[in-house]
Amino acid sequence: MDTIPLLQFLQAVHPLKEEEQEKFLSAWQPFECKRKTILTAAGETEKHLYFVLEGVQRAFYIGNEKQEATIVFTYAPSFSGVADSLLTQTPSRYFLETLTSSRFLRTTYKQLEHMMNEYPAIQRMVLNLTSFALKGVLERQIELQCFSAEEKFKSLLKRSPHVLQSIPHKYLASYLGIDATTFSKLLGSVRI
Amino acid sequence: MKKYKSIELLENLQADTRQLILTASYLQTMDPGLLLQEPARGKWSVIQVLEHLNSYGRYYLLAIERSLEKGKPACEFFKPGWLGDYFTRLMKPGENGAIVNKMRSPKDHRPSKYLDVLPVLTTFLEQQHYLLELLETAKSKNLGSTRTPISISRFIRLKLGDTFRFLIAHEQRHFVQIDNALGTILGTTNIFPATHLVM
Repeated sequence: MDTIPLLQFLQAVHPLKEEEQEKFLSAWQPFECKRKTILTAAGETEKHLYFVLEGVQRAFYIGNEKQEATIVFTYAPSFSGVADSLLTQTPSRYFLETLTSSRFLRTTYKQLEHMMNEYPAIQRMVLNLTSFALKGVLERQIELQCFSAEEKFKSLLKRSPHVLQSIPHKYLASYLGIDATTFSKLLGSVRI
Repeated sequence: MKKYKSIELLENLQADTRQLILTASYLQTMDPGLLLQEPARGKWSVIQVLEHLNSYGRYYLLAIERSLEKGKPACEFFKPGWLGDYFTRLMKPGENGAIVNKMRSPKDHRPSKYLDVLPVLTTFLEQQHYLLELLETAKSKNLGSTRTPISISRFIRLKLGDTFRFLIAHEQRHFVQIDNALGTILGTTNIFPATHLVM
């Protein structure tokens, strides 16, 4: 099984000792699915942690009047799954779907919990990864509340320029909390 | 007969069920008046369709639960029975959601005209979440070894795997009806932004 991308990712963000690394890598199974597959529905408790090998995924919330808000995108090489539901084992408030056909490595909450109990280093790694995820979420909160549409647009393209090619623009607009028409105007006018 | 990998079949059925949950979540955000409106005289409203599905859910979810209790350990492959496969294909909407063979529902599954929106929707969602759990439990069971009697005759019994397939195909069929009913009422297509009938 192809765990090399996961290994490379770990070595870059949080290297483990050999025993722990071996234990951690052995807990993953390959999983693939078509585009527009819902991996987790609102109301379900997330059972899996995914590591993306290929494809783009999107988490979105359904609000009133058929409004939907895109919460987050995931793509290779990074983790996916409804993180808050997974870690708290409480029902998810939103949906997670694949936007393109996707390949993952996948492990279960049970396996993760077991590894964290057995190996403090794995627990520290999960804490470390979660902490940076939290940092990202709070930074995004600042952008959503304080940035103009143009600033949000520029900030996204500076951080992740490739998303313009890989993600439909209506979802990017929804992610930034701006209109699809405003988004295409910015695309035409803003110099990055 | 096509053989399925049991785990893949169950995961695909779970993904199908989640699509139904997503569409029902959009329905929850819509004007209840629309959901109660008949698209044409004598045609079922959205809520009536959902109540029709709930009435089947009340029967089948319990029947499946019983089958699972008696279930033997998992088997890597599942081969549908000929009758179960036939029923599933009969129910399942075609590509792009076309329904060719119209049918009439049995009398005791025709919903009342006088329904409350909220409890019907809530029950529907609860049933789908329970169905997801049953599909999860089924991952450790043999899908071919126990049989579930169908609702109209206890003498016709389908394999557990076919009961799941048939039940979900029936729901998908009626979700095409819901889509069409709302399309007629609102005079538009593409009612649900993110849903896809992935058949």
